[in-house]
Amino acid sequence: MSSNRVGAMTFGDHLCLPYDNDDERNAILLDYIGDGLRSDHKVVYLSAGVAAGDGAGSGIDGLLGRMTYGTDDAAALSAALAAGQLETGPWDADEAAVLVGTAAGLARAQGYGGVRIIREPDAAGASGCGLERAFADPGVQAMAVCQYDRRWFAAAQVERLEACHDGRVVVNALHDDGVLVITPLYAPPGLRLAGAIDESTLPALRSALLGARRGPHLCLDLSRLDFCDMEGLELLVAAGRGGGVGGMERQVVLRGVPGYLDLMMRISGWEAVPGVFVEEAAR
Amino acid sequence: MNGLRSTSLGQESRNERGILLHRALVYGSVRDFTDIAAPYLDQGVKAGDAVVVITSPALAAELEEGLGTRTASRIEFIDRDGWFRGPMQTLSDYYDRTRRDWWPRGRLRLLTEPVWTGRTPLEIREWKRHEAILNVAFAGTPSTFVCAYETGAVPPHVIMDAARTHPELLDVEGLRPSGEFVDPAEFYAGCNATRLEPPPPYAARRGFATGELPGLRSFLAEESARLGLPETRSLPFVLAVNEVATDVIRRGGGHGGVWLWAEHGELLCDVADPGRVMEDRFLGYLRPRPLQPGGAAMWAVRMLCHVVEIRAGEQGTVIRMHLKLT
Repeated sequence: MSSNRVGAMTFGDHLCLPYDNDDERNAILLDYIGDGLRSDHKVVYLSAGVAAGDGAGSGIDGLLGRMTYGTDDAAALSAALAAGQLETGPWDADEAAVLVGTAAGLARAQGYGGVRIIREPDAAGASGCGLERAFADPGVQAMAVCQYDRRWFAAAQVERLEACHDGRVVVNALHDDGVLVITPLYAPPGLRLAGAIDESTLPALRSALLGARRGPHLCLDLSRLDFCDMEGLELLVAAGRGGGVGGMERQVVLRGVPGYLDLMMRISGWEAVPGVFVEEAAR
Repeated sequence: MNGLRSTSLGQESRNERGILLHRALVYGSVRDFTDIAAPYLDQGVKAGDAVVVITSPALAAELEEGLGTRTASRIEFIDRDGWFRGPMQTLSDYYDRTRRDWWPRGRLRLLTEPVWTGRTPLEIREWKRHEAILNVAFAGTPSTFVCAYETGAVPPHVIMDAARTHPELLDVEGLRPSGEFVDPAEFYAGCNATRLEPPPPYAARRGFATGELPGLRSFLAEESARLGLPETRSLPFVLAVNEVATDVIRRGGGHGGVWLWAEHGELLCDVADPGRVMEDRFLGYLRPRPLQPGGAAMWAVRMLCHVVEIRAGEQGTVIRMHLKLT
């Protein structure tokens, strides 16, 4: 199953978002909606069993409250946002596929560049998605993100649902310059660092660490970090300073520490820095 | 200081807790050696010091016989071949063991027999430098280092330089200050005075500046593999050169060049910084304190290499890293 950055989605993409963490899900959807607004796309929140006349689906209200756009954006958002409801109430794959086609046509008629569908999570879709039928047409001016709350399904069901989609949608990288890729982690909160930390990528790491959400813990996944210099290592082991709630120290958890970094920590005497916990490799 | 008098062997007392004593024990026969060393160790055991002997198994056996098993059982014996692997590794081991095991028990009373045979001229110079550095690295610590030199077995220039790197000399005549002793910084600078031969014309070369280190690292990995560096040691080598290049970019002239070649079973790598005269005064030899910014890089470079030479002058600075290929 391929992983696709939400920021790289294009028309014709039909991706699934299996989640068990609301912060991660919100981050993906907010980027998806924000990109839609900037690209003059219509956003349709597709839900089953919502009472008619309820305006935007109830599931999206909490999301919109998190959007930090100016008043122009807010106006554009309310104009661009529509709630699609299934007449039949419970999820009906045939009806949903038709609705995607209708929404895409309507959006074009209204002058939008296309439509971005968000499918509300529900427990009824366990047998399959159904939207894939709408995406059989290669020219469709629509894309879709289908949410599935992992906690509602058995693992085999999640796999079956995923198989109905072109791939999985994942959160955007905070930084990607071809040398270092920094992606947020949500459970536990932290950052995944992949590639190389050196004099050229150090500033990006510094700002990502400063921007990481304050909390008692910060997990740094280093399992895909191919290279890290001494200054980078200093920054990693000092990441706990002042990053906790109210300026307190936070506990830094280093996960998946590669062998060369373990060597550098021993050489420099930083293998036992207070506030830094090095996780044992899972074997 | 009240109560502090000039020291003679066996009269070290508790008022010397924070003083480093560094002595060269020069002897001609094993008998002379045990006559001097056994009382030194015995009094350390009686005083409750941490007593440590780092010698050949043969000398250790002589000492054990001279001291008796009861006294010897309270002494830690370490094989010198395992201990004196490289000047930097040995320095790091001293830092580790003193803090972790020896000083917590009291004063450290050490007897060592450094290895001088089977060393290249470069290695011998670096081991001499190591003796000078000990005066600085362990200044003000409750330690006595007695380093044994056998006149027949060690080249004369090694014994001459021992008198320059050890503040005190010890032999059958007794203990006396060394008249030849020089400031460790001066001795250190003398070790840097020899000229480096330029890299051979066949050396692989690449320039670097900011943003170009990913390409430099690929170059180093490929070329070092071609020159015979085993894959498992590739990354530590690349880490070392990357640190030096980073320093050139951030604190030096901003750009430089790298030369890479192999000779005499060694991989050699020069990093040249034409834009700076680097000050090398025990650079990278004093262990960095945790989270002291900037101090750790050259320490790490030295730890990752066999020997690192630094030469600075009108042409800028060259840092030459030696790694053993076998």
